[in-house]
Amino acid sequence: MKRCKLLIGALALGATGIVAGGAMAQDPIRIGVITDKVGPARPYAEPITEGVVYGAEELNRRGGVLGRKIELLIEDDQGRPDISAAMARKLVDAGAAFILSLSLTQATQQQQTVTMETRTPQLTPSNSGDTLTTQIANPFFWQTGPLGSTQIATLLSYARAKNLKRVALISDNSDLGQLLAKFFRAGLEKSGIQVAIEEVVPRGATTAEPQLQKIRAANPDAMFMAGVLTPENVLILKAYRQFGLKFPIHSSYNLSVPQYSTVAKGLLDGITFVDAYDPAKPEVKAFVEAYEKAKGKTPYNLHGYGYDGIRLVADAIGRAGSTDKEAVRAAMQATNFAGVMGAQGMKYRFPDGKRTGFDPEGMVVRVYEGDRQGRVVHVGTR
Amino acid sequence: MKPLARWLAAALVLSALAFALSSYHNDVYRKLLLWVTLALGYNFLFGVAGQVAFSHFAFYGIGAYSIVILTFQAGLPLPLAIVAGVALCVAVALAVAIPSTRLEGFYLALATLALAQLFIVVLNEGGAVTGGAGGLADYRLPAILGVRVTGPWYTVVIVLLMLGTMALLARLDRSWFGRACRAVRDSPEAAAAMGVNVARTKVIAFTLTSALAAVAGMAYAFVDNTVNPPIFGLENAFLLLFMVIIGGAGRQAGAIAGAVALYLLPFVLSPLIGHHHALVFGVLMVAAILLQPRGLIGLYDALRRRAA
Repeated sequence: MKRCKLLIGALALGATGIVAGGAMAQDPIRIGVITDKVGPARPYAEPITEGVVYGAEELNRRGGVLGRKIELLIEDDQGRPDISAAMARKLVDAGAAFILSLSLTQATQQQQTVTMETRTPQLTPSNSGDTLTTQIANPFFWQTGPLGSTQIATLLSYARAKNLKRVALISDNSDLGQLLAKFFRAGLEKSGIQVAIEEVVPRGATTAEPQLQKIRAANPDAMFMAGVLTPENVLILKAYRQFGLKFPIHSSYNLSVPQYSTVAKGLLDGITFVDAYDPAKPEVKAFVEAYEKAKGKTPYNLHGYGYDGIRLVADAIGRAGSTDKEAVRAAMQATNFAGVMGAQGMKYRFPDGKRTGFDPEGMVVRVYEGDRQGRVVHVGTR
Repeated sequence: MKPLARWLAAALVLSALAFALSSYHNDVYRKLLLWVTLALGYNFLFGVAGQVAFSHFAFYGIGAYSIVILTFQAGLPLPLAIVAGVALCVAVALAVAIPSTRLEGFYLALATLALAQLFIVVLNEGGAVTGGAGGLADYRLPAILGVRVTGPWYTVVIVLLMLGTMALLARLDRSWFGRACRAVRDSPEAAAAMGVNVARTKVIAFTLTSALAAVAGMAYAFVDNTVNPPIFGLENAFLLLFMVIIGGAGRQAGAIAGAVALYLLPFVLSPLIGHHHALVFGVLMVAAILLQPRGLIGLYDALRRRAA
């Protein structure tokens, strides 16, 4: 009887162990996502988050990573950097193996104080601020969004053939718009191109005519648009067409968002814009087809950032062989990954200890053909 | 219980809470305490002194940026940087307050709104000094007497700051100066007839509360060890006003209730209803103004009267 009890006890212990072991094997890998659902970054953060969610679903359909499913823990920081840092702490407390930052550049910056302190790997697949990897020496942070300086270098490279001498620069007064305008100004001046006039259209403006009148009076060779607020950019384009201006417009990536085809209908023909998305790329074609099939709608470049982001994270964890933070950090630093974003053949890499992974030669310039985002007319900065 | 014992008990309980909370909850708690500190100061300026100013949050930012710039760029020791930062804020507050004594109501609101907007422009255009749109980062609170205050112990510092602000303003409210402020708020002409120097009262109330906001900003600068322009955006100036109105202007308990309710609202509602919490916020604002103009504290009073 005693032996029987012992046997039953041992069996029960064994069974408990198996169940626990099985449960452990099934434990999902938790990936934290900090997005903005109500604040100023929402127009960007929403499609990028959709791309992340789709990417995680696709990975899970294929068996997950290291035999474990991916579980996304999505938090809304309301576009407020102070709340963003609190959300990073929440995700770390919840056991997130990696954090994807899809909100404002400054919010990502503020999250870094947490990820550096807790040594938690963090990636922003979309932020373009140049200072994210230089202000804080955080070995657990990477950025694969194309830098603002890369955007202007690519646009300038395209415009160089046009022999520009004096240009106008127009932006809005949002933080990101001001940041991009700063990069544009620095890049233009470095190339010996004079910024003859710089104008700002404030958020909530009802017209951009005064700004465009001043620009018309300055008679520039071309106008660079650095604004990121869609309504204000539409006002700029309206005033440009209304005054019958002929100098070419070169825009930041903001005009690569497809909503412009609807909200700026009839205003877009001939405008060139920098983008990180080449519709002719085989990876993009496959992504669009699969996404349409799964979600019933067509993705665009912002979805691609999120899709690449989650796959980069999964790739690093897969190569690390575990979710050990130091192992994942080392694997992430050794990334060599071809994604949806970037010119044909571009790969995300972090050579020489750098933590910005978008190849400076990987951006493209596209042109609006009517209201349609048209072909790639230029690649890289050379 | 004697007043001093009550303050000590409050300090002990609020500080002890910091050691019981997780890292995330501690972070939210720290930031909530700072919002309460700001709301207490703004309650005195708006609710007691009757000045509708939108610069309060800008002074919070001036305090935060000045402590970082003075300590890590100018190389001043922390205590000296605190004194210099407060002096800078007092100078800016006086520069705004003295000409503003000619303004009241809507016009004062506009003037201080312009200051708040100008502050953001200066931050974005400040080059290496302010770090531009990216702000300033990668610094840490210097050690004081060889001790580096971090984690829950830093929360204790913020608890003491909040209670100190509360005690100072409560004392002021009950003093001759507090009565003078209320008199100026209700009728500047009658206050002047009673011998109150209206202009001086307004300037002192504005400068004092601005300096208190700056000190809170200095404490904030070391919460995440980062300062950047969006943190001090205009939306927060309006949120502060809403906190005092929703809570019940003119009473400290109202300011505390408003700050706690509005700061925590998104944290509580977001997991339940997602981004629709912004809609709930709007509906609550309209309902509070239409149905309970005395705020949450007025509602509490009414319920207490009914219970009695």
